[in-house]
Amino acid sequence: MKNILITLSFLFFSIALQAGGGWPQAKGKGYVKISEWWLIANQHYTDQGRIDPNLTNGLFNTTLYAEYGLTDRLTAIIYSPLFSRSYFNNEVSGTTGDILTEGEAINGIGDTDISLKYGLTKGKGIALAATITLGLPIGNDSGGSQGNLQTGDGEFNQLIQLDAGAGFPLGQTNGYANVYVGFNNRTNGFSDEFRYGFEAGINLFDNRLTAIARFIGVKSFRNGETAAESSNTSIFANNAEFFSFSPEIAWNFNENWGVAAGVGTALSGKIIYANPSYNVGVFFKW
Amino acid sequence: MKNTFYIALCTLLFSACIGDDIIMDRVEETLRITAQAASIAAGETFLFEARYTNNIGETEKGQVTWLSSDAAILSIDQDGLATAITQGVVIVSAEVTLEDGTILKEEMDVEVSMVTVEIELPTSRSGVIETTTFYDLEGDFTINAVDDDLVIEIADNYKASSALPGLYVYLTNNPNSINDALEIGEVEVFEGAHTYEIENVGLMDYDYILYFCKPFRVKVGDGEIE
Repeated sequence: MKNILITLSFLFFSIALQAGGGWPQAKGKGYVKISEWWLIANQHYTDQGRIDPNLTNGLFNTTLYAEYGLTDRLTAIIYSPLFSRSYFNNEVSGTTGDILTEGEAINGIGDTDISLKYGLTKGKGIALAATITLGLPIGNDSGGSQGNLQTGDGEFNQLIQLDAGAGFPLGQTNGYANVYVGFNNRTNGFSDEFRYGFEAGINLFDNRLTAIARFIGVKSFRNGETAAESSNTSIFANNAEFFSFSPEIAWNFNENWGVAAGVGTALSGKIIYANPSYNVGVFFKW
Repeated sequence: MKNTFYIALCTLLFSACIGDDIIMDRVEETLRITAQAASIAAGETFLFEARYTNNIGETEKGQVTWLSSDAAILSIDQDGLATAITQGVVIVSAEVTLEDGTILKEEMDVEVSMVTVEIELPTSRSGVIETTTFYDLEGDFTINAVDDDLVIEIADNYKASSALPGLYVYLTNNPNSINDALEIGEVEVFEGAHTYEIENVGLMDYDYILYFCKPFRVKVGDGEIE
């Protein structure tokens, strides 16, 4: 619901779209991914963590994700929903067939994250990296006649994250695992957050196929306003929590080009949509 | 071929259209006589009134047919205006023919006598607010008629979740929808006793109090007004 859903929904999918972990790009190297992410939700986790129905909300993001190695240790990252669409369905009487409430939609740019990742280790067994991310509230946080359509949450995030990753052989092939923890300082009455995640991947078919499993969690410090205390409906994203599972597969056509597809679903949560989201994209690396 | 695929894919992804969510908003039709007399003095008139709400809880006027069991004792026109003619007892009934042909009827005995005795309607009704979701919402309430106004007293055992934005309270005859409901206002108290004052609303005009998250169209709970 206020974006319920949206903010955290964006979050756990934007994370799923990313790459990197504890490994910064080498100087001059990069990775760009254009993808479409979407979620059509008619149920959500309540503040008690139980699932309730809601008026169907559709969210569609066409996103750009890019990493570029400024040095061998320092990587610049951007995640930007270049086109974001949010809509609510019509509410129709099952008795008369009349439209009780007209559906609405907004289109625009979404909140954009810019990050700097710094590799703390180089050539060691475990790759450690620290990342600072600024979440720029350039999306629309109160669209529609009720102010309930958003392409952003209207608040400025400052996230500090620490990643630790390791690669390892796995039979004839190889795999990797990465864990991270982060602290997200939020403004405009939003509660701060503790973020954590684990992912593991394996390369198959002569490194043509990469299969990835991600588990991502967010816990709220509950030090912000409640939804009822704020006139800003986007505050409803506040105090949202989830633990999600987001598997993804990527197919490399060659050393540069590839496609990826994934799904994300909240296994548990509070104030977040309960329906799965999907993403497909094409990436280029050099 | 490849271009066709990409165009189809883009069309699919970008043509996210607004669809329809069907709300199960059917309720039982109700008919209630809201102004009634136990007896009417011979030679005098009395205006009976009734309220009919249809299968989506909307109040419909002009649907009620008034009948007297003995027009020689008491006659009544289709506006509910009864004329007492001579002493005796009749049955006054209000009827509405529903879409499926069944008849909804309310009736009462009326005596034509020496005096007119109007039946006093209750001045207070009450109920219990209960959640219909997995959000906290509970509490007792009483609605008092004060002149032409209503005072809704929410008891001190009330509590509601503050996790929802735009939680509003309504009076309605359809607990499944805010269509045709009277919006009282946004909920600002989430625990303990408080009151709402509503002008120019009759005590018998509505049968439910409804809590609804307005921005996200989610019913949170309701309470039948007994």
